[in-house]
Amino acid sequence: MIAQEKKPMEEILGYLEGKQKVVVMGCGGCATFYHTGDTKAVNEMAANLTKEGKDVFKMPLPFSIQACDIEKSGVWLEKNRKELENRDALLVLSCGDGVQVVTEYMDEKMGITKSVIPANDALGLVGGGPKKFKETCQSCGMCELGKTAGICPLTSCGKGLMNGPCGGVRVDNKCEIDEKKDCAWVKIYERMEKLGELDKFISIRSPHEWSKAARPRLFEIEEPVGMDVIGAMKGMLTVKFGPKPKLDE
Amino acid sequence: MGDEIYSDLMRELKEGKYVFTGELEPEKAGDVNEPIEMAKELVGMVVACNVTDNPQSFAYVNSMAASYLIQKEAGMECVYQLRCSDRNRMALLSDVLGAGALGLKNILALAGDHVSLGDTPDAKPVFDLDSTTLIQLIRTMVDEGKDLGGKEIHNPPKLHVGGAAAPGAAHLKAEVGKVKRKINAGVEYLQTQVVYYTDVLDKFFDELGKVDVPILVGIFPARTFGQADFFDKYVAGVDVPPDYLEAMRATKAIKDKEKKKEEVDRVNIEFFTGFLEHLKGTPAAGCHMMAVGYPRIIPPLKKLME
Repeated sequence: MIAQEKKPMEEILGYLEGKQKVVVMGCGGCATFYHTGDTKAVNEMAANLTKEGKDVFKMPLPFSIQACDIEKSGVWLEKNRKELENRDALLVLSCGDGVQVVTEYMDEKMGITKSVIPANDALGLVGGGPKKFKETCQSCGMCELGKTAGICPLTSCGKGLMNGPCGGVRVDNKCEIDEKKDCAWVKIYERMEKLGELDKFISIRSPHEWSKAARPRLFEIEEPVGMDVIGAMKGMLTVKFGPKPKLDE
Repeated sequence: MGDEIYSDLMRELKEGKYVFTGELEPEKAGDVNEPIEMAKELVGMVVACNVTDNPQSFAYVNSMAASYLIQKEAGMECVYQLRCSDRNRMALLSDVLGAGALGLKNILALAGDHVSLGDTPDAKPVFDLDSTTLIQLIRTMVDEGKDLGGKEIHNPPKLHVGGAAAPGAAHLKAEVGKVKRKINAGVEYLQTQVVYYTDVLDKFFDELGKVDVPILVGIFPARTFGQADFFDKYVAGVDVPPDYLEAMRATKAIKDKEKKKEEVDRVNIEFFTGFLEHLKGTPAAGCHMMAVGYPRIIPPLKKLME
């Protein structure tokens, strides 16, 4: 999922200066998981903007309807076409992907060109939970995990070195940049040692092929994302889970 | 690895001489006058001087330009330090060609501190290559006359490439693994991070075992208490002994400038007498004296090694 946090209200108000009538749109995907675009967040944002004298129309998206999945979120946009036409700006409570997919759809499919403003800052692909998350993959397009004992140095090493560690490792094996972060290369060394693969540690890894991450990346799949995904989600409801494992907070 | 010798530094190392190198730091200035003056004082005391490249990620005069001017104006051979922090592989390749064209003979290939530690923290850190792959690139350019894509370089640069090692690294085994990797990549000499403790040095040499690459051990005789304190507080992998630090602190109280200088020199000579005596018994091929702005300390320290 794409981690995200709310932007400071002052920044959002700055973007909305001179724009009186505002649509506040939520997102039923990642932004709902991180409480940055769920219905509660939409209501809170609407209340804050109303306090600032704005005329607000709320457009929350139900759970699983993601702003970036335009086939579905587009239904909500079409349903609220009149409001979108008559308002000065659309504030989207999603990651930057959602904001831009909605902007493009409104511009090109609906013929409505409005100021579209982000309410959140996206922080990358993360895993973990329920409260603590960590970015471990940057979707570089050329996975190197097979060479580095399953830990991505491009993401987990502060410098993204393919051949570390650097000379800046702290006394407690933390990163020179941030004492809260582990040195990824010490972790890689320790995993390789456990795996009996230290010969891999001293071999030279070639420079990463950044051409695979040439932006913006375009991507196409044969089977469209559609109702079968919803079907799979229904199937999940019939799965019997065991006792809930105790998770670290 | 080629057998050609291009620099005085490499000639002395190959001849098995005990080698001394110094260090010069270009500043945030539109000239290189101060390092040039320092270099003039060091001529004859050290075979070559490292010229730092944005140390601790503070943006200063370009190291290649400074190295060229120091060699030209002061007649001091330079070790051009080149960091991966600020340049992608294309810029690095281009800089190595530039260094060759300007007559620079030694490069020290470094990953470099992260930009967030310096005075331009919002800069985009690059690290497209790391120290190992930069060493490999330079060796390919010099020995094979090829660039990264295998394209031929007309009149390839003639220079040597060194690397860094950190004997005081928190995780010594991982550090030594990396040093061995640099050796596999073709590094021709190693200069270590500053070491103050003899046991740190011994553990490093023990863990590394016998290698064919000459190693110059880094020492830092501090000119002021502030310099020593900075190393202790902010430089990863370097612990400054408390006794030395206290003796340096005590020099702050001396008001008379000349007496203060004498006392600072005395503290350094007293501390390094034991360290350098110990160094003679290690596999080190020489000593990298990072006495930035403190050339007068080098002759008495060198004398201790005789």
